[in-house]
Amino acid sequence: MRALTLHLKILISILVVLGISITAYQIFVIGIPVTEDATDDLWNIDAKVEFVANAKDPVKIQMFVPPLNRDYVSLNESFISNNYGVSVNRVDGNRKVTWSARRVSGKQTLYYRLVLTKRYSGDKTKVKGPVFRDSIAVEGPEKIAAEALLAPIRQHSADVETFIGETIKRVNNLNDDNVKLLLAGDPSTPHKAQVIELLLSIAHVPMERVHTIRLVADQPQNPELWLRSFNGNDWLYFNPETGEQGLPSDRLLWWIGDEPMVTVDGGKKPNVTFSLNNSEMNAIRLAKLTDENTDANFLEYSLYGLPLQTQQTFMIMVMIPIGVLVILVLRNLIGLQTLGTFTPVLIALAFRETQLEFGIILFTVITALGLMLRSYLEHLKLQMLPRLSVVLTFVVILIAAISLFSHKLGLERGLSVALFPMVILTMTIERLSITWEERGGGHAMKVAIGTLFAATLAYLVMSIPELVYFVFTFPAVLLILVGFMLAMGRYRGYRLTELVRFKAFLKADS
Amino acid sequence: MFGFWKTWKALEARGIMGINRRNADYVLKYNKRSLYPIVDDKIITKERAIKAGIHVPEMYGVISTEKEIEKLDEIIGGRSDFVIKPAQGAGGDGILVIADRFEDRFRTVSGKIISHEEIEHQISSILTGLYSLGGHRDRALIEYRVTPDQIFKSISYEGVPDIRIIVLMGYPVMAMLRLPTRQSGGKANLHQGAIGVGVDLATGLTLRGTWLNNIISKHPDTTNAVDGVQLPNWDGFMKLAAGCYELCGLGYIGVDMVLDQDQGPLILELNARPGLNIQIANDCGLTLRTHAVEAHLEELATKGIQETVEERVRFAQELFGHIHQSE
Repeated sequence: MRALTLHLKILISILVVLGISITAYQIFVIGIPVTEDATDDLWNIDAKVEFVANAKDPVKIQMFVPPLNRDYVSLNESFISNNYGVSVNRVDGNRKVTWSARRVSGKQTLYYRLVLTKRYSGDKTKVKGPVFRDSIAVEGPEKIAAEALLAPIRQHSADVETFIGETIKRVNNLNDDNVKLLLAGDPSTPHKAQVIELLLSIAHVPMERVHTIRLVADQPQNPELWLRSFNGNDWLYFNPETGEQGLPSDRLLWWIGDEPMVTVDGGKKPNVTFSLNNSEMNAIRLAKLTDENTDANFLEYSLYGLPLQTQQTFMIMVMIPIGVLVILVLRNLIGLQTLGTFTPVLIALAFRETQLEFGIILFTVITALGLMLRSYLEHLKLQMLPRLSVVLTFVVILIAAISLFSHKLGLERGLSVALFPMVILTMTIERLSITWEERGGGHAMKVAIGTLFAATLAYLVMSIPELVYFVFTFPAVLLILVGFMLAMGRYRGYRLTELVRFKAFLKADS
Repeated sequence: MFGFWKTWKALEARGIMGINRRNADYVLKYNKRSLYPIVDDKIITKERAIKAGIHVPEMYGVISTEKEIEKLDEIIGGRSDFVIKPAQGAGGDGILVIADRFEDRFRTVSGKIISHEEIEHQISSILTGLYSLGGHRDRALIEYRVTPDQIFKSISYEGVPDIRIIVLMGYPVMAMLRLPTRQSGGKANLHQGAIGVGVDLATGLTLRGTWLNNIISKHPDTTNAVDGVQLPNWDGFMKLAAGCYELCGLGYIGVDMVLDQDQGPLILELNARPGLNIQIANDCGLTLRTHAVEAHLEELATKGIQETVEERVRFAQELFGHIHQSE
């Protein structure tokens, strides 16, 4: 016996540990969200390109589009243009779309639409970048000014990072004579960036211009210029205006380099306007969408890999053990009396279709009428099988009648009664009537109410959306459940109702 | 919540056995599933008992198919009283007790007149498995109708009082006299409203009783005191019960016996899942006693001794008998 207990304990521990570790792996390593409410932002970015086409000239318009290599995943990308040919190509870490048309004229509007979201998985791909560059040749006063600026920067910096920061800070000090000379009266951001690049190049620090879009909804904006430099491991981003380091998380890298965003051949006055809006989406569904666009297919081997139809079935199926657990607790811990062991679970499943209140009413009505028929049949002294068949047929007729009535009355809900398991109803009626005869009406009532109560509770638990999501997403939870059920199999404490049943002992004591 | 906890602790202290403990520690542990048919089928129980020389009510015949219902008259013969039982019935359901004939009809023990057809329908219901555990096809058993000993006249309402003794590995643990009441319809099952009266294992003197989970000392129908009645031939009952372990091989059983006024103690049936109300009847928890028996068994096992029926009965009587009931 002791060996058995040990065996059981080991089995339970294995199951529980297995269940917990698989679930923990899913949550912490794969990063599947624990609740369905964990939604991710979904950004919808529209870039509207307008220009005026020259008559008679073929038009070729090129625009950078986000390379989407690190922090973001594109879910959908479309190029909306009537009669333009579209091609996308990658150049030096940038992506460029080329629209071309032979003969268009007048004002032209093209759209580029991108739906994207933050990348799901935590692992980032390795990046590479230059760590050395040649100096840009400068002469004369500029050279002297640059060197004059660089001397204190060198003094005040320790590494590449601080060097760049210091450089940007100095260049933004417009009162400095050396800076004034280098800027030559043009303190615009691109020009500042140019000066910064010059200074950095003298120190052989490579630097790139990065044009970003801010992910903020319903705000007109233009690409924002950032500078970045590779420190051997990662890119360091700097704001050329403030020297602020690190790209804020809401910035989307659009393109790299000095070129303008749009170039037009055979047209003029190109103009790009951005409009952004965001929506939220269930994280899992999002992950599935993302899945199609990336190689991270961690959902492949989960229940989400099944066809949608089958998924729905499984969503119900994985909840059945939960319902059974409710019955187990009600019967073995509480001591509630129900008809049969799993009848309440099956009734609970039927409630899913009919909704609770309506389900209870239907169940009560059909069972009550069935019991009346059954008690009439009792007088006819029929054998069991014919009697059961009569009751079953009666139940079917009753269900059909209720459906018809409710349909005529315009109660669409009534139609769902057809989904009530007829055999379950028949067996419930039969069992209930036997109980009635053998143990009396009071006991039968008690059992019927117990069954309905258990079914209701099981239904309520089985239809908690968070729970459904959790069990469906982390099916290993079922192993923990089995562990609990095994433990319940050796539970030998009192049932709650027994505390009432054996009250007589306490009365005798006092 | 706190109240429940207090109740829990109090019951535990008194060694009251709950259903979960009975199932986990006794029924599942001592009763091998393969042996269940012996006790679940009354016909097999009877055959075994006869082979072992244990007294049972005489079996008149068995009906196992619808065709055989025709043989009913042949089986009954000229007898005017008999009992029809489902072989695998549970809880006394489906039992028909015929006390007399009335012209062409029969009179049940409760005075209801029923026709031959009604008896046949009852048998047919039994055969289809209406009363059997799990609804399997069943057999009907026709047997001798026990006439209860006169001693029970004053404390019983109709029906046949029976004596239930819980036996653990051949050791009687607790005993109870079950008295039918008007509410139970002549049946001796507690959940149907019969009274359970505790019995002192050593002397066979009745203690107070339980009725519908309450402790009582008078029969609700006859208002006669149920305690202090000396059951005749008590040692015979004890030995009969203790011997049932060898008969069926199940370690934890409830043995139901009757005292026939002509034939003495007879075994009615065995139950592999005896109820727990016997504890209320005896005002005593089962767990303390079963633990004592288990400890004794362990001790014997180390010495390699196996006790005989008489030794086991003596052990139980010495340890659990001679109760002085507190008023």
